[in-house]
Amino acid sequence: MSTNARRTPLERMEYVLILSTLLLLTVFTIQPLLNLLALSFTAPENVAGFSGLTIFPDGFSLDVWLLLLQHPNVQRGMFNSIWMTATSVVIGAFFTALMAWGMSRPGLPGRRIIFMMVLITIVFEPGIIPDYFLMKRMGLLNTPWSVILYKAISAWYLIILIRFFEEIPKELLEAAELDGANPFQTFFLVVLPLAKPALATIALFYFVLHWNEFFRAMIYLNDQSKWPLQVVLRQFVIEGDKIAIVGATNANNNIGIAQINIRALKAGMIFITILPILAIYPLILKFFTKGTMSGAVKG
Amino acid sequence: MSNQSLQARASALRGGNVPRTPAAGTGDAPRGSLSDQVRFHDWFLNGLRQWWPYYAMMAPGLLFFFIWHYVPIWEAKMAFEQVRIIPPNIWVGWKNFQTLFVSPIFYQVLANTLIISGMKILFVFPVPIIVALLLNEIRNGKLRGVIQSAIYLPHFLSWVVIAGVFIALLSPTDGAVGQITQAMGFEPVNYMTNTGTIRWVLVISEIWRSAGWDSLLYLAAIFAIDPQLYDAAEMDGANRWQKIWYVTIPGIVPTIATLFILNMGMFLSADLNQVINMQNAVNASTIDIVDTYVYRLGLSTGEYALATAAGLFKAVIGMALILVSHLVSKRLTGKGVW
Repeated sequence: MSTNARRTPLERMEYVLILSTLLLLTVFTIQPLLNLLALSFTAPENVAGFSGLTIFPDGFSLDVWLLLLQHPNVQRGMFNSIWMTATSVVIGAFFTALMAWGMSRPGLPGRRIIFMMVLITIVFEPGIIPDYFLMKRMGLLNTPWSVILYKAISAWYLIILIRFFEEIPKELLEAAELDGANPFQTFFLVVLPLAKPALATIALFYFVLHWNEFFRAMIYLNDQSKWPLQVVLRQFVIEGDKIAIVGATNANNNIGIAQINIRALKAGMIFITILPILAIYPLILKFFTKGTMSGAVKG
Repeated sequence: MSNQSLQARASALRGGNVPRTPAAGTGDAPRGSLSDQVRFHDWFLNGLRQWWPYYAMMAPGLLFFFIWHYVPIWEAKMAFEQVRIIPPNIWVGWKNFQTLFVSPIFYQVLANTLIISGMKILFVFPVPIIVALLLNEIRNGKLRGVIQSAIYLPHFLSWVVIAGVFIALLSPTDGAVGQITQAMGFEPVNYMTNTGTIRWVLVISEIWRSAGWDSLLYLAAIFAIDPQLYDAAEMDGANRWQKIWYVTIPGIVPTIATLFILNMGMFLSADLNQVINMQNAVNASTIDIVDTYVYRLGLSTGEYALATAAGLFKAVIGMALILVSHLVSKRLTGKGVW
């Protein structure tokens, strides 16, 4: 840092002030999460007095994690979340790409009208009750498909992909056409491979959106056996329904799993739910950050 | 749509491999006399021949938008009906809205929504701007990267998780906040069950979630500022704050304006997912917003028509807000919401 030499004491103080403000924000953001992570690994006998200020486990135990990961409700929630999210992502990314490709072609008759129709859906949302009755009418209520198909194609991500497809050089497409490719071949063999980074970004968007979805799952799915992890978590942590995880007999007689502090179980449950997000977080940082930055720069 | 593409497919089969004429389907076909009608027919068929593959590819998406976004608009007619257990429902006109507009609880939830949205605009909106300005001053790229990776994370967590984190954080006995209060010699407060503080919990948790990630948009705008402007300012002897005030902030004003207007468009939402997870029996009335009211009225109490009317009211006002926002944004910054 060559500028360091020229810095006056005042400037250095300013820098320290700026840096400490940001570090304070970083601590405020990360400490509550690390605290819960530490709590989930804390030895059962120390959980009762565990401080909210630390980020290190007090003693070490895998009890909470082993218990939760072996719990049928948690396992089922995980299974539901994984397959429902995976299906949504595949459906979402594929059909968004197909539709975006059509809509990105200049000269497509009706292009403006279709665009308007998509924009209207962003602007006007008639609300949750009509949605609910639509699900009911289609017989999708209390089936995973109500959650999977809801928002399967997002108008926002569609627009992002359209903008991306519009940038593909015309020469490439003309070259494919000259080689005798029909529009389908052009799309699958030329456009999709070119769009890999954009598709990956959209798939990640969809992944986060669907993994975090709880409201629709909560109102559409009656059977607990169909709940994704977020709804199981909500039942346990927000509604304070211990029975879901601990079981009625255990809760009443304070035996077995009920002896583990509920606080530690809740902390563990929170982390089980965000594990996939944490696992792909490096990818998210890479794609989301780049996408947002380049999008804004281009204006 | 599918019917059209079927016809198109049939005509394409009949016509065999017709060489594509780039002009086909672009110009407006003249209409009128018989020969004009024939030409229109040709123009239409040529257009189909050229474009049917694209419509076929778009068909699933179009069908999806129709079912998931347009059929609910039709379903919303329930707002004007009396719902009966045995169909059909009875058309009652504006009666449900009249019931709504004389009920005190509706004005309560409307007021709550406006207060919470107002607080968020005042106290949440400026934070990411400040964070971006501060981040821009960190010249050490590695250090900045570490801070960014940490503060972006909450944006990707669900409100169920965030509410869980805040319930733990704000617990008067075990939470960090309670322990700090105690250490300073004060009586700890349970902020989650205190009607005077719960709205601030909404504000703070929204800052926790979005301050980092939203700063990225401003940071992108800052990075797009011409470096020569900074060089020029430096030549004129500008210090750090003068450079921020005279170069950086003017450079990101369009972004600020766009995001501010977008926020205004969301004024009647106040975030259902956040509120529904932060709500409990004690604080419910203070943070009951239009969306939670609709949810409770419709899906818990079974007042479908009234709930739909409330939802439709919010949707229409919300649409007006977004459209006005979009036009204002276009006017001021040349950039719309979409």
